[in-house]
Amino acid sequence: MPYHEFEVSKCIPERKMHAVVKGPGEDLTHALPKGYLNTIPGTISERGCAYCGAKHVIGTPMKDVIHLSHGPVGCTYDTWQTKRYISDNNNFQLKYTFASDVKEKHIVFGAEKLLKQNILEAFDAFPDIKRMTIYQTCATALIGDDMSAIAEEVMAERPEVDIFVCNSPGFGGPSQSGGHHKINIAWLNQKVGTVEPDITSDYVINYVGEYNIQGDQEVMLDFFRRMGIQVLSTFTGNSTYDSLRSMHRAHLNVLECARSAEYLCDELRVRYGIPRLDIDGFGHKALGDSLRKIGLFFGIEDRAEAIIAEETARWKPELDWYKERLQGKKVCLWPGGSKLWHWAHAIQEEMGVKVVSVYTKFGHQGDMEKGVSRCGEGALAIDDPNELENQEAMLTLKPDVIFTGKRPGEVAKKMRVPYLNAHAYHNGPYKGFEGWVRFARDIYNAVYSPMHQLSAIDISKDDYETGKGFVTRRMLSDAGLPEEAKASPLTGYTGKFDPIPDLRQKTYPAFERRVAPAVAE
Amino acid sequence: MAKSKEKNVARANYPKLYDHDPLADVEPELRARISEMETYIMKNCLWQFNSRGWDRRKQNAGILGKTAQLLVGEVVDNPTPLDKCHWVDAVLLARNFKERCLWLADLGADEIRSIIEKLHARIDWLTIDGSLNEELTVQNY
Repeated sequence: MPYHEFEVSKCIPERKMHAVVKGPGEDLTHALPKGYLNTIPGTISERGCAYCGAKHVIGTPMKDVIHLSHGPVGCTYDTWQTKRYISDNNNFQLKYTFASDVKEKHIVFGAEKLLKQNILEAFDAFPDIKRMTIYQTCATALIGDDMSAIAEEVMAERPEVDIFVCNSPGFGGPSQSGGHHKINIAWLNQKVGTVEPDITSDYVINYVGEYNIQGDQEVMLDFFRRMGIQVLSTFTGNSTYDSLRSMHRAHLNVLECARSAEYLCDELRVRYGIPRLDIDGFGHKALGDSLRKIGLFFGIEDRAEAIIAEETARWKPELDWYKERLQGKKVCLWPGGSKLWHWAHAIQEEMGVKVVSVYTKFGHQGDMEKGVSRCGEGALAIDDPNELENQEAMLTLKPDVIFTGKRPGEVAKKMRVPYLNAHAYHNGPYKGFEGWVRFARDIYNAVYSPMHQLSAIDISKDDYETGKGFVTRRMLSDAGLPEEAKASPLTGYTGKFDPIPDLRQKTYPAFERRVAPAVAE
Repeated sequence: MAKSKEKNVARANYPKLYDHDPLADVEPELRARISEMETYIMKNCLWQFNSRGWDRRKQNAGILGKTAQLLVGEVVDNPTPLDKCHWVDAVLLARNFKERCLWLADLGADEIRSIIEKLHARIDWLTIDGSLNEELTVQNY
């Protein structure tokens, strides 16, 4: 097994099995790191907890819901401003955060009364909102508060409201991924099948594992609507609570982030017979193939082809402009989970960069199977890295840019390695044909930032050159290009600063239904 | 659609088919051809990576079985939504194979079936029987 041992982790020998380098002639049966295991004592993990995974990643993107944490107010920290799962109802779920504000006395005497009081106050404060999710935290799980009983009491007193209870305290798994699992199964057991939807199309899907980061979901919804497909629910970005209760009526589950939502798809397949189709919304080829597959499933591939042709003609030349300028740039692809495999092959093929390392904070071995397969030989694959390992990897691999979260990203910046936010994006959306060009634009801006280059000059010394300093990204990126490429009339991305408002105003053609609606629908 | 919450825990006891790389002794020219197809699948597809071993077995058999049928021009029957799902992945795979593996055009139906059978064995080895993924045998989703 080609395990990689970091110098900084020699004192934690168990860490060796969490990093591999796939060598020549090796495959997945030779090279796969351990994954989804409890963090080894002594290594300072960057992982989130199971409560964070359930609430902040999966639950909170639901837009018409009061999301209440039953615990200390500190547990809600990540809710405010640090997530970018926007919604088309003025971002209610991002603007307001709720916690029962448990203190020491509640740990001693119980916090159920406090929880009920908070639930009622929250509904009273927002009388238009009739749906709520409640999340268990470590403290209230340990004292044994029965959140379900309180939720039942409130629903009995106020029949117009509906409450979902999520028992995923912080210690409920090795990482946030444990919380993804718990909320998937809890939602299925408690809520799916409790609302009957209005079916308006012959082609009905659930779009699963999509969280509307900077509008990703709305970009994909645009494609589906142009194909005449009814998206019954999105799990969970920009979605309503009640639409997600009606998931059992879809014809097909289209799964984007398998890491966070495959449990739900697999159970919907077992319990309701709805098949699961895995797709990639990132990259022109992968997205095109994904739309084709959905089109084929419903017998409307021609509609998919029309969209692919139109979008490719519009955006491919601009993508190629960046590809020419990003050739061979070394990338560390260090996201949380699924993007390591969503992006690994597509950025190499369509942007010309070279992935020298992938890591995952909370991914499972299944994610690494996909990631290691999609990287080339010699790429360093790391599971649950600590900060010192990240620093060692940056020093040895010397990447031109890093795609990661904001915490390791800030460390990278201090080491003078540009970083892009892989979780919340810099200037997304990154999904869709246009979004992929926006991503290429952000990579280009990071790699060729003149400011970044200036940061290398030690101005405490007297011998730096003061006579030259003016450069532009284009001067840097085009320096080694052939004359023909330099003369290109293109200048990169020409879309809008924010493409989402236009999508929200868009109207779609009505497609005639082939099947007459059943009375029961 | 019928709603059933019963789980078949015995599903995790899927039989192991290979205890070593089934292509280890294949002649180099044929091996290179299969590698071309294998690389395409591993870099571009996701269907072979369902999280549990028994699902991977079904996925590999369903999609590669239908891919072989499409490549030899057989009519593919899709009686269930799951079959249809396998079929759409098979259609995309067959198209990409035809586009990239130009040597396929020179092969007869039996040769194509044989090569896809070997590819199937190899994908089963990589993703199931030889896999280092310790979660494949977890009995629940």
